[in-house]
Amino acid sequence: MTEWITITIDGEALQARAGELLTEAAARAGIIIPVFCSHPKLDPLGACRMCLVESEGPRGRTLITACTTPVVAGGVYYYNSPRAVDARRGTLEFILINHPLDCPICDKGGECPLQDQTLEHGPGKSHFWEDKIHKAKNYPLSDLIVLDQERCIVCWRCIRYLAEWEDKPQLGLFHRGGETVIDKFPDAALDAYTSGSIIDLCPVGALTNRLARFRYRPWELEKTASICTHCGQGCNLRVDVRTHQVRRHVARENMAVNDEWICDKGRFAIGFSSHPERLTEPLLRVDGRLQPVSWSVAVKEVVETLKRIARQFGPQAVGAIGSAKVSNEANYLLGKFMRALVGTNNLDFREGSALRAPDGGLPALADAREADRIVLMGCDPAEEAPVLALFLKRAAIRKGAPMVIIHPRAIEFSRYPGVHLQPVPGTETALFDALTMATLSRRGEAVPEWLLALYEAGDAETALARAAAMAAAPLDAVREAAELVVTAQRPFVAYGPDYAWGYGSEALVTALRNWIVAAGHGARLGFLHTQANAQGAADMGLLPDRLPGRRPLHDAEARSRLEALWHTRLPTQPGLGYGEMIAAAGRGELKALYVMGADPIGEKPADADALAKLDLLIVQDLFLTATARQAHVVLPAASYVESDGTFTNTERRVQRAPQAVRPVGKAVADWTILMHIARYYAAGQTAGWDTPSVATVFAEIAQAVPAYADLSWERLGHGGQQYPRPATDAVLTPHDAVVLPPTDATYPFRLVVGNLLWDDGTVFAATPAMAGLGHKAAWLHPEDAAALGLHEGDRAEIRSTAGRIEVPVHLDIAVRPGTVFVPYSLQDAPVGALFDRFGPRTAVAIARV
Amino acid sequence: MLSDAARSEIQALMARYPQPRSAIIPALYVAQREWGWLSHEVLAEVAALFAMEPTEVYAIAGFYNMLYKAPPGRFHIEICTNVPCRLRGAEALAEHLRQRLGLEFGETTADGNFTLDAMECLGSCATAPMCFVRRSASDWGRYYENLTPERADAMLAELLSLGDEAFVAPMERSPAGPYHHDHHPETNFLLARIDKPSSHTLASYLADGGYAAARKALGMDPAAVVEEVKRAGVRGRGGAGFPAGVKWGFLPKGVFPRYLVVNADESEPGTFKDRLIIEYDPHQLLEGIICTAWAIQAHHAFIYIRGEYMFGRLRLEQAIAEAKAHGFLGKGIFGSDFDLEVTVHPGAGAYICGEETALLTSLEGNRGHPRLKPPFPAVAGLYGKPTIVNNVETIAHVRHVVEHGADWYRQWGTERSPGFQLVCLSGEVKKPGVYEIPYGLSLRELIYDYAGGTLDDRPVKSVIPGGLSMPHLPPAKLDTGLDFESIQAAGSLLGSGGVIVIAEGTSMVSVVRRTLGFYREESCGKCTPCREGTGWLEKTLIRIEEGHGVRADLDRMERISKYIEQQSFCPFGPAAVWGLQSALRHFRPEFEAHILATNPEEAKPPVSVRPIYRPYVGLAVANVLDD
Repeated sequence: MTEWITITIDGEALQARAGELLTEAAARAGIIIPVFCSHPKLDPLGACRMCLVESEGPRGRTLITACTTPVVAGGVYYYNSPRAVDARRGTLEFILINHPLDCPICDKGGECPLQDQTLEHGPGKSHFWEDKIHKAKNYPLSDLIVLDQERCIVCWRCIRYLAEWEDKPQLGLFHRGGETVIDKFPDAALDAYTSGSIIDLCPVGALTNRLARFRYRPWELEKTASICTHCGQGCNLRVDVRTHQVRRHVARENMAVNDEWICDKGRFAIGFSSHPERLTEPLLRVDGRLQPVSWSVAVKEVVETLKRIARQFGPQAVGAIGSAKVSNEANYLLGKFMRALVGTNNLDFREGSALRAPDGGLPALADAREADRIVLMGCDPAEEAPVLALFLKRAAIRKGAPMVIIHPRAIEFSRYPGVHLQPVPGTETALFDALTMATLSRRGEAVPEWLLALYEAGDAETALARAAAMAAAPLDAVREAAELVVTAQRPFVAYGPDYAWGYGSEALVTALRNWIVAAGHGARLGFLHTQANAQGAADMGLLPDRLPGRRPLHDAEARSRLEALWHTRLPTQPGLGYGEMIAAAGRGELKALYVMGADPIGEKPADADALAKLDLLIVQDLFLTATARQAHVVLPAASYVESDGTFTNTERRVQRAPQAVRPVGKAVADWTILMHIARYYAAGQTAGWDTPSVATVFAEIAQAVPAYADLSWERLGHGGQQYPRPATDAVLTPHDAVVLPPTDATYPFRLVVGNLLWDDGTVFAATPAMAGLGHKAAWLHPEDAAALGLHEGDRAEIRSTAGRIEVPVHLDIAVRPGTVFVPYSLQDAPVGALFDRFGPRTAVAIARV
Repeated sequence: MLSDAARSEIQALMARYPQPRSAIIPALYVAQREWGWLSHEVLAEVAALFAMEPTEVYAIAGFYNMLYKAPPGRFHIEICTNVPCRLRGAEALAEHLRQRLGLEFGETTADGNFTLDAMECLGSCATAPMCFVRRSASDWGRYYENLTPERADAMLAELLSLGDEAFVAPMERSPAGPYHHDHHPETNFLLARIDKPSSHTLASYLADGGYAAARKALGMDPAAVVEEVKRAGVRGRGGAGFPAGVKWGFLPKGVFPRYLVVNADESEPGTFKDRLIIEYDPHQLLEGIICTAWAIQAHHAFIYIRGEYMFGRLRLEQAIAEAKAHGFLGKGIFGSDFDLEVTVHPGAGAYICGEETALLTSLEGNRGHPRLKPPFPAVAGLYGKPTIVNNVETIAHVRHVVEHGADWYRQWGTERSPGFQLVCLSGEVKKPGVYEIPYGLSLRELIYDYAGGTLDDRPVKSVIPGGLSMPHLPPAKLDTGLDFESIQAAGSLLGSGGVIVIAEGTSMVSVVRRTLGFYREESCGKCTPCREGTGWLEKTLIRIEEGHGVRADLDRMERISKYIEQQSFCPFGPAAVWGLQSALRHFRPEFEAHILATNPEEAKPPVSVRPIYRPYVGLAVANVLDD
């Protein structure tokens, strides 16, 4: 309940919220009190003295800082009194005396609060006759951020951001008095993953974007409100373009998604769009070599060959792989084309049918802010969703929310109090069963018979002890974790992809879900997608057994609705999934494969043989990927900043990413390519294929996908729209016991996979300035490394029954002994090469090279 | 790498505080003792011990002058050149040592033996000129006071011959002049014991009836102790003069733990009274702490003592150990069920840490920046808990009020400034020192009757009555009584009782320039007016002193100082400019005469306009700004 009180500013009575800061109350009345150190997202400091106003008090009028003063009922304040105006002028003069006034070459010039406030509140001319103090200029804080200490006005916003949000106080003040400077530790660089936020926060040109500086003037920029597509969070940002080139990304506020922050990947890893190796024209394999051709030749080749194969071998010989990285519209049209025109359900994407994820992703990102417990299972928001991680850190620091972390590695959140369990990969199911049983006994509820039977126990305590022992988890830690979750009011509970696919993941996810359901928080259990549109691609029906709206293939209502909408009959035979399509290609059963925004061979080089047997491999992508190099037709796609599209993030928020820059060369938006191919394929029967814009495609999606029924391109606006989360049952579900056999002497290590933010993948490494940041190594526990005779940086061979890779090793105690962590996207060392039937938990051997 | 011994010493230090981070400065001293200075490697190692980001420790080291960011010579000689020492020949001493060692300030002799520096006030104003010598191998320092050129030469020779142990051993008490008036021992309580042999020991203190007040307090209701102190009207001796009992009454009811923090960061130039109590009667302070802690029901007291008071720190540690051994401190003191720990916490060379919120921020293990009030420390102080911060002398008074009662105390002084006080007399007087006087004694009596008049019997030109921060009073105000109200009525403030006397013949331009130099050096840098303005004022004053001033500078300085005074974050801002403002008020003709004598045409100063757009634009363009 907001209590409204009356205050007076310059003789005008106005309503204010009790306890709000005077700056906020004044702003509501249209009085913008100038500030530098104050920022709505940071704690009040009162250091810059720019916001001085007069306050009527028992000892007469005194000057106060409006940014630190909560308004009181009956408070009388003067903003425009001569003394207040003079005081602000005085402060501004002080700020300017040692400022270099190098506005002509300053990146901030034109969008600089110091310039603006000097114009409005400044003294007009300087009375400073002395020499200015000189400090460090062009001083790199990291590969990404440069500091100019002379421009700095010591407002502490950057320091406070890193301390208050990142909980990584990597910037501080040094020296004192007039010599005071912002500085970092000399031998280190800023490495907080959202460090770039300090550039947005800086009220002067002291902190600049090392990639963007000197490459634009703010007033020349064309600014497009868009989103980030690097991870599943979908942070809102603005794409700034000058002369048809993306110059920078800056954060855009969306309280539901990202507050006012974006991570450094979203801010800086933007070079992929203008990379010189982008595909700029269609390629056709002629005489064994990919050669540039016109779009009409390429489209003709695609359509005629697909038709021939479908006719000759049946539609089941055709398949398509879409992508969690491309828009809803592209994925929707790819699925529609395959189902409605080719007649196959052979549809999937990498994070599609293989993933044991619930339909709804996370309940809501903003829940993280209010969480009283933070439960992370096989997911690491610090690496996989760094802005979400900020919210979680804040809950941990400000609200003291304890952590319950179950992860094969010690992750950044392990530094906060709580319970941290690091189960041996392959024993997680037993651990979650133990947690379920501990929870049930804590609540005085009976453990179901099937669960007791699973552990061949007659009573709950024995079963609990056995399950915990199988996971090598201390019993009191299990009980403590169960206690923390069962006593939670508003827990944030999430698991991630690494627990959700591969051998045994069905039992694992069931066990995990059982625990949270038993604790009474089933409705809060969420899944953290790590790809921008994994949620959306599945919503679009890019799955072998699901129609748009994730409806089962035989759902009569969905079938009739879609058949009417698409003017066609839908195929009934369930399709092949991602891995099955590749296997079918290897057996010669799949003849044609349309790959959009995916690179199966890059992720698992051994699949090259299977795909080599295809009669037609079409690859539609930004780059000539490993898969594209083997393709018959390569279609150059426009990047997401070059085309309109919508993406659905991990909390089911559908957001627009409008075109911000023209495509390179002859690259064309994914959805446009598909439209053209489909219309050509339909050969005049173009009913249902007349959607000339993303807005019209999206309108059709709203008819095809019930959850999207209320949405439209216009209505999405700049903040997106979230659709409701489907309800789930709150019952315990039996599962099979799945505990992997222990590793053996031949393959003694258990593989651990996962995402790192600096992943060194194609999109990341395409920004040259970031190339040095990418992770290049597999991580080993120092003791294991010592036993293997490996030192930091040594090259090692990692081998499984499926294949081998060669990588440098990095020694880290975050890794559990007996495991090796191989991040996704290592260049030239795809971890997929190692996957045998145990997938991400394959047993491997390690040897020095 | 730090030695294992150093690591365990640091661990032990961390255990002394409710929050380990508070031990960061003591820990940096340990590291510095081992390495002589704090390299990046050492800072990173200490950071790891505290699980802090290296930047945090680096920033802390960067704030405090006593933490070496570069290796000093074997002996680091820091000459106090602040105003009180300057009035007694510090400049000549500095010049002598510069010549003798062939060094400028900040330089080290080629043999690595001596580093020479100018230093701010070290609380030795009655024994000026003086210097503080630190020995990097032991990170210990000692004062050499009443220095003449000959004694300075002897000091250099002695330093080179002194062994480690001899250096650390406490020196004989310096000849610090008279501590009380010769003729009017009317109030002789706080200083009654300091001339006795071994006055600092528990045995001596007990022989004089010590700790009776503590026992008495413990037999009283805590609220009754508060009431007695309130009724006595004990004013805070740290500078603001706020009644101690009233301050204690601000503690929120029923909120625990509470902390008592004793402000022994005596850094106000011209103030050296607390040092005397700490070094020569530490049990008096401890007894006051016991009475106060009981009154406010605090079980942990901290004494934040300025880093340079190494001898005082040693004395306090010894006194605490003795008191603990006798059951006067620790668990169940004096056989009661009241526990009281006292932790001595060293500062590291930052004047601002005498400001109570900055002190708390520093004590929590940070750069000593002041923080927002409200909340006041009594409500949310150390670690966010209710905290009373009182000056050493204030606490010492509590001991006497408890023993003798409020009525006894009120027989001296004035209605609103009851009791007696310590004043620190320094500057150009014959007998500088600490005097214990009742409130209300006039400046004239103090200077002429007690201290025997001015040096060479020159007329008094100006008196700063409350430490360097307070406004100058002209000779016409010499009959003002030394109590809070009278001094305020006369146009200054009693502050911390540091009376600095300036005699005719001393240049006010130079005094004020040096005053601003102090505030420029000690500004914490948090708020804009103080950070930028103090430097601006000092640069202007240097220019005037060097003969490039114009009379318009005086108006400009008044304007700048007005902004600093009215809109700084903490009381440091006004304190920084009151000296200048009052000097311009009382001695403006002298400034104008100086300007016209040195710059008769009032030529505008040469100004270098140097917009650094690109590195090659280094050329300074001579220009003259029109104003």
